[in-house]
Amino acid sequence: MAHTQAPLTPALFQVLVALADGDKHGYAILKEVEEQSAGEVQLSTGTLYGIIKRLLADGLIVEVRRRPAVENDDQRRRYYRLTAEGREVAVAEAVRMEKALERARTKHLLKVPKPV
Amino acid sequence: MSTSKQPLPDRFFQALLRLLPFDFRSEFGADMEETFRAQRSNVERERGLAALLKMWWATIADIVRMAPREHASVLAQDTRYALRMMRKNIGYTVSAIVILGLGIGVNTSIFSVVNSVLLKPLPYAQGDRLVSLRQPEPKLGIDDIGFSPMELGDYRAQNHSLSGIVEYHNMTFTLIGGAEAYRVRTGVVSYNYFDLFGVKPVLGRTFVADEERPGAPAVLMLSYEFWKQAEHGDPNIIGKVYQMNDRPHTVIGVLPPIPQYPNENDVYMTSTSCPFRSSLGSLTRRRGFAMNLFGRLKPGATPDMCRADLRAISARLMKDYPAFYRPGSGYFADASVLRDDLTHGARPMLLALLGAAAFVLLIACANVANLILARMARREQELVIRTAVGAGAGRLLRQLLTESLILALLAAMVGIAFASGSLKLLIQFAGQLTPRAREIAIDGWVLGFATLCATGTTVLFGSMAALCSRRDVGSGLKDGARAGVDRGRQVVRSVLIATQVAFSFILLVGAGLMIRSFLEMQRVNPGFVSQRVLAVGINLNFTRFHDRSMRASVANRILEKISPQPGVLSAAVSSSFPMDPDDAGLAGARTTFQIEGRSQEETERTRPVASFRTATPDYFKTLGIPLLSGRTFTEFDRFNDFDKPDTELVAVISGSLAQTRFRGQDPIGKRVSFDRGDSWARIIGIVGDVKEFGPNRDAPETFYLAQGQNPLLGSLLLRTAGDPKSLLTQVRQAVREIDPQIAITESETLEQARADAVASPRTITRLFGVYAGLALVIAVIGIGSMLALWVRQRTREIGIRMALGASPGAILGGVIRQGMLLVVFGLAAGAAGAVAVTRLIKTLLFQVEPTDTYTFALVPALLLAAALLACYVPAKRAARIDPQAALRAE
Repeated sequence: MAHTQAPLTPALFQVLVALADGDKHGYAILKEVEEQSAGEVQLSTGTLYGIIKRLLADGLIVEVRRRPAVENDDQRRRYYRLTAEGREVAVAEAVRMEKALERARTKHLLKVPKPV
Repeated sequence: MSTSKQPLPDRFFQALLRLLPFDFRSEFGADMEETFRAQRSNVERERGLAALLKMWWATIADIVRMAPREHASVLAQDTRYALRMMRKNIGYTVSAIVILGLGIGVNTSIFSVVNSVLLKPLPYAQGDRLVSLRQPEPKLGIDDIGFSPMELGDYRAQNHSLSGIVEYHNMTFTLIGGAEAYRVRTGVVSYNYFDLFGVKPVLGRTFVADEERPGAPAVLMLSYEFWKQAEHGDPNIIGKVYQMNDRPHTVIGVLPPIPQYPNENDVYMTSTSCPFRSSLGSLTRRRGFAMNLFGRLKPGATPDMCRADLRAISARLMKDYPAFYRPGSGYFADASVLRDDLTHGARPMLLALLGAAAFVLLIACANVANLILARMARREQELVIRTAVGAGAGRLLRQLLTESLILALLAAMVGIAFASGSLKLLIQFAGQLTPRAREIAIDGWVLGFATLCATGTTVLFGSMAALCSRRDVGSGLKDGARAGVDRGRQVVRSVLIATQVAFSFILLVGAGLMIRSFLEMQRVNPGFVSQRVLAVGINLNFTRFHDRSMRASVANRILEKISPQPGVLSAAVSSSFPMDPDDAGLAGARTTFQIEGRSQEETERTRPVASFRTATPDYFKTLGIPLLSGRTFTEFDRFNDFDKPDTELVAVISGSLAQTRFRGQDPIGKRVSFDRGDSWARIIGIVGDVKEFGPNRDAPETFYLAQGQNPLLGSLLLRTAGDPKSLLTQVRQAVREIDPQIAITESETLEQARADAVASPRTITRLFGVYAGLALVIAVIGIGSMLALWVRQRTREIGIRMALGASPGAILGGVIRQGMLLVVFGLAAGAAGAVAVTRLIKTLLFQVEPTDTYTFALVPALLLAAALLACYVPAKRAARIDPQAALRAE
């Protein structure tokens, strides 16, 4: 079930991005994805765990045993971490998107070219 | 996770999660619930009702959408795993697939026949609304006297329940204009015959009303088979003109390949084209012409209403024409649903075969269940470990079911391959029983049946086995509990073995009875010597040979030419011959007669009927029929002038006729009349009875008349010195030289005819034999493999016993005893079952009782011997166990 070659779906990419700066549990991912996309991408629980299952199977994320010392940590919550491979895939996807954006700019599809 | 205290939305979400596969739930379920709870309370708190509803909608929709995908992924995973396990245990896999496949194949093949013959509607438009009409005279033992054209008119005019009545009768004519002169079986029918049946021609059209008007130009429809064979499927056949009965006949259409009933015919013509049907005598005589009538029930009419309707009409006919319909005969008119008519001959045999096939499947199932159980024992460790790492019982069950289903599909494929392989044979077999045989095919229903059989049996037995192991999976890690579990499983396996033996016993008894019955049939003395006799059908174009003296002289010329040929020991011409396959359904030519000196009243009351046959003098010598008393015909028993008979009309009678009709008096010298006293024939001799219609039917009372006085040419019979078939070319040549318009039809040896007369009992006996053999083999393999497993599991125990001094002989005996005990239980159950079940095939047996002592003695002996052999192999292995190695192995 290796999907690393294919372009990632936006939701999948968003989950990887959400995990880029630290281990998170399911709801934290859900919230971050929503905030990152300014409400554009809204994951349901089912979709999120479908994605998590796939990322786990592909080795892009792992579950972390060591739980962070958060004051309201729930025993039932599970935390996920981006693996090195996951990071690679996320970077590759970001680069691919950047290139696509670049092309769009040279073709004047985007009106205001913004320097990075 | 105590659900009772949770708020309703969370409980609802939990319920929703149940749509997902077990694996998914056990992996992420709790986490998902937690996430959902957080998300829900957040949305509730911060966003309001609309957002909440939207969130619910998205949640529900997503889970519903992803559930099938997740299930499919589990299935794919299970399938991969199952295939890997099956490859690892290739011996088990192949034997289970082959055994189940055979069981399913046997059932599927018979079901394909049952389906096409008994279950499917007739291939006619609304075929279940078609009825066939009869006029029985039960008190005279006559099933149907047939209908005359006048009666057809009466029933057409007076009935209220049928929307149409059509007629049918069957003649043999000579067709000229093809590659050679054909003797064609001709159906003579009403113009709307095919319309009533809803048959659409593949070429051309069917008859129209104008073509059944007196004097209309003659037209023909060809049967599909005749068109294919005689005309090589010529697409331009429409408009071809044949000569028949000295008239041109134009082809107007070709029929589709449908079951033809009551007889198979080569061509069809309208009633006015038949010279006999349209003769003045036939049209104006109330009796003496036997046609079949068929009708279609009016909308709303039931077969019972139709029967009542016909009875009322026949009662009126009896009142109006008392001279023709005598009360003493029990005469009435009746109707039966055509579908029953077409299949009643096949039903008992097919059901018996289906029953036998079901037994084979049951045995196969018991065997495979045993295989599965045995395999479960070996997989116990694997299952225990999987349970230990968290696979739930449901998960394991699902895995095992997947394995069963894959097994089932493979077995179904084997079964279907088996069935399609045997299809040709089955059609041939069913052809002996019903005209519907040609419809037999492997269709969706048959495929469905095979798949259902396969999945039903494997899932049932697979999950049974799974449940057995599920129960003890917890105790599997604890070695101490194992013995008890093993014992329980051992009991189940023992019962399965005994069951196989019991079912095999029943099948073997069934097959044994069939074989005994068939042997009895073969032992019957047919009354003639069938070896080295060739029968050649000859057919005179009757418009050309209408004159009796012409026909008589043709018979003489044929014999003069054939008799001196090398290899011919004797030769005769007759109207028909014993066990003639073309004649079998018609029960031969029948005639009523009266004995001189008996009162008219007595003759009316008993209305004696007998078969008759005309023959040349050497007929009895050629067929080896013994003369019991008096003399047979000589060359002087002939008329030189048929208009002014110059010799006395003579007749030879069969022994049974002499006995039943003359009651101790000597019939020789007595006179009989076949035409109500217009002419009398003197009985000159009595010959032996002949089983005319096959060994399992009574010899009919028969009159033989001299060809020289009643020239009716139907067949040429030759007793030969060598192989009868080798004479055929000579005979054809000789007949063609006499007259090229004499059609030579089928030829066969009487040996063949005799074999053909018991063709369907032979086939059913063979099928039963094959099924029983299959059952025996499967059961024996089952016993052998179960004992082998038993020995393997007890290697240590046996080793200890040997170390303690048990001799190899004692071990051998012990293992054999273990196996044979089950066999004996199985035999006892089987014997009881057989006594109950074999009664069902009583109608198929000939001179053998369903509780035949020989069979019931022989079958257990055979089974015991086979089982002993099966037990011996593992027992021998047990006896060779090295105690030291066995003890070390643990």
